[in-house]
Amino acid sequence: MSQRLQASIRAGQRHAPSGQLLPALAPYVTAGDGGLDRTLAVLHALESAGAACVELGLPFSDPIADGPHLQAAAERALEAGTTPAGVLELVRRFRSAGGALPILLFSYTNPLFVGLGGFSAAAAALAAAGGDGFIVPDLPPEEAGELRDACAEHGLGTVFFATPTSSDARIRAAAEASTGFLYAIGRVGITGARTTFDPEVLTWLDRVRDLAGETPLAVGFGVADGAAVAALGGHCDLAISGTALVRALHDAGGTPEDAARVATAFTTALGAGAP
Amino acid sequence: MSTFQLPTRFGRFGGCYAPETLMANLVELEAAFVHAGQDESYAAEFARLLGEFAGRPTPLFEARRLSEHLGVEVWLKREDLLHTGAHKLNNAIGQALLARRMGKTRILAETGAGQHGVATATVCALLGLECVVYMGALDVERQRPNVERMRLLGARVVAVQSGQRTLKDAVNEAMRAWVGDPEAHYLLGSALGPHPFPTVVGSCHEVIGAEARAQWRARVGGSPDAVVACVGGGSNAIGLFRKFIPDAEVELVGVEAGGLGDGPGQHAARWVGGREGILHGCRTLVLADSDGQVEGTHSISAGLDYPAVGPEHAHLADTGRARYERASDDEALEGFRLLARLEGILPALESSHALGWVVRERECLAGQRVLIGLSGRGDKDLASVLPRLAAEEESA
Ligand SMILES: Cc1ncc(COP(=O)(O)O)c(C=O)c1O
Repeated sequence: MSQRLQASIRAGQRHAPSGQLLPALAPYVTAGDGGLDRTLAVLHALESAGAACVELGLPFSDPIADGPHLQAAAERALEAGTTPAGVLELVRRFRSAGGALPILLFSYTNPLFVGLGGFSAAAAALAAAGGDGFIVPDLPPEEAGELRDACAEHGLGTVFFATPTSSDARIRAAAEASTGFLYAIGRVGITGARTTFDPEVLTWLDRVRDLAGETPLAVGFGVADGAAVAALGGHCDLAISGTALVRALHDAGGTPEDAARVATAFTTALGAGAP
Repeated sequence: MSTFQLPTRFGRFGGCYAPETLMANLVELEAAFVHAGQDESYAAEFARLLGEFAGRPTPLFEARRLSEHLGVEVWLKREDLLHTGAHKLNNAIGQALLARRMGKTRILAETGAGQHGVATATVCALLGLECVVYMGALDVERQRPNVERMRLLGARVVAVQSGQRTLKDAVNEAMRAWVGDPEAHYLLGSALGPHPFPTVVGSCHEVIGAEARAQWRARVGGSPDAVVACVGGGSNAIGLFRKFIPDAEVELVGVEAGGLGDGPGQHAARWVGGREGILHGCRTLVLADSDGQVEGTHSISAGLDYPAVGPEHAHLADTGRARYERASDDEALEGFRLLARLEGILPALESSHALGWVVRERECLAGQRVLIGLSGRGDKDLASVLPRLAAEEESA
């Protein structure tokens, strides 16, 4: 289990003026979109702006769980020459510059299996670089034995998913297998499409939270702004927001400093609750 | 965790590397498949449609003029004569019946050459199911007639603009669509993808080899020396091979797309440039770079233009039970030309790879009795073939 990650998720939860406990924030960025120097600046900005952790996306050629915006970001990052080794080097640079923000590497299986020499080797390498855990969207618990063992050995967190199509038994098992947090996908579908968290979803999240027991609960897919984060208040521990930030960073363009400003503004707005 | 009832792997290959959103569907599909296997009414309905609707059994044909020309005794298993013109219909019927058992009313499918899309659209019309077919935009261009056929059959064809705009990208998009629409059934068109697809698709096509083996015994006697089939994802090949696997005297040869040459991006030959990896839900051989990024592919035939191979083939190669060779674009065209001129059959460009390999290897195969899986007919390929053959004839 990643101690730093758990502590950060706890510390990142804030009370809204209404008294409601808002979830901590976990922005997602595609590593190397706009170049790794930009991503490095963004990581520092996210930390300063109060994110609890970051989902650092390792770009892959065939991201089957991602919508068009994150697909395009991965394509740009690959065109810019981003490699698995380069992303680990980015993590190392962030740590040696004093960055303390917990980093979860979001990767499809193949860049780990082929690019980093297998799940065990990937875990050893991520731990050595200073990362905190893995999120692997195409690795269900059934196939994750090797990665789980290696993460346990290296003190990294694991994250598995709960979706509206998952049975209670699967959700319970996924929570048990997750030493980082349980990742609830609040609606069926790929990343990017917008959603409002209607009462049905919130009821479902409350059930997932019961099933998850002590495992922290994160919610992702469709969290685009402070209003969405506020709507999740009291229903989960961590709110993950990806597509909106990746788009904002790309649309803004510019230098690493410009990117850092966009990341800061985005995170601040997310944390500010409903506008 | 014992999520599944059946083995999910072939040796170390296969497995179920799928997003959580799809796990419930995959479990449901496996359960329906297991249950159908114990239900005589499913087997009877499948057999009825394969017979009355699709036209099974397909003939085993002795290609006498080709045999004489090559000095190799060539027999063809005529899946090109199946309704809709390719083996793909076996799987489309089998899975659509499973979908109906599961109470699904909407079918999603990917297609490369368009044959699987046409087969799926056909069965959906037959069974009254809604049908959406994802097809790479490049393939939409090079397989026009099949796009028109799908539309006439009532299917919606979505041109996929991402990536290389071919079969791999169509699979990506169909999987994304399924993640967003788990009420639908994804009718995957080859023996690949997450468990249970490789098992289900292979089993729907087993009829090819079962018929061919019985026909061979009755008509020719004994066993063929070699059984040869083209391998894209590997469905026609696994369907032809499976019943011959226990016949140790029969050599099994899969032929993949050698394209223009051995350089990266020039072919779709997984046993030349591939490595073990994970793509589209299964562990298998994948054309990927050392970072794990999937590489571009090239083949004159859209149906073989795919960077991974069904996991059962990876296992058959690993154990030495089958071997995998390649035929280039030019060799496939030569196979096409010879079959047209000598036997009056226009083969699909996919199937032409199996022919082209036998033509190239005729000296090694001299005097042998070879069974070739003729997986489909070539009408759909005329737009690709005509300019190439015309150019060759001019320069000759
Ligand atoms: C006629 C024909 N043969 C072969 C294939 C390749 O697929 P598989 O390897 O699954 O048989 C296709 C695919 O479109 C096809 O249309």
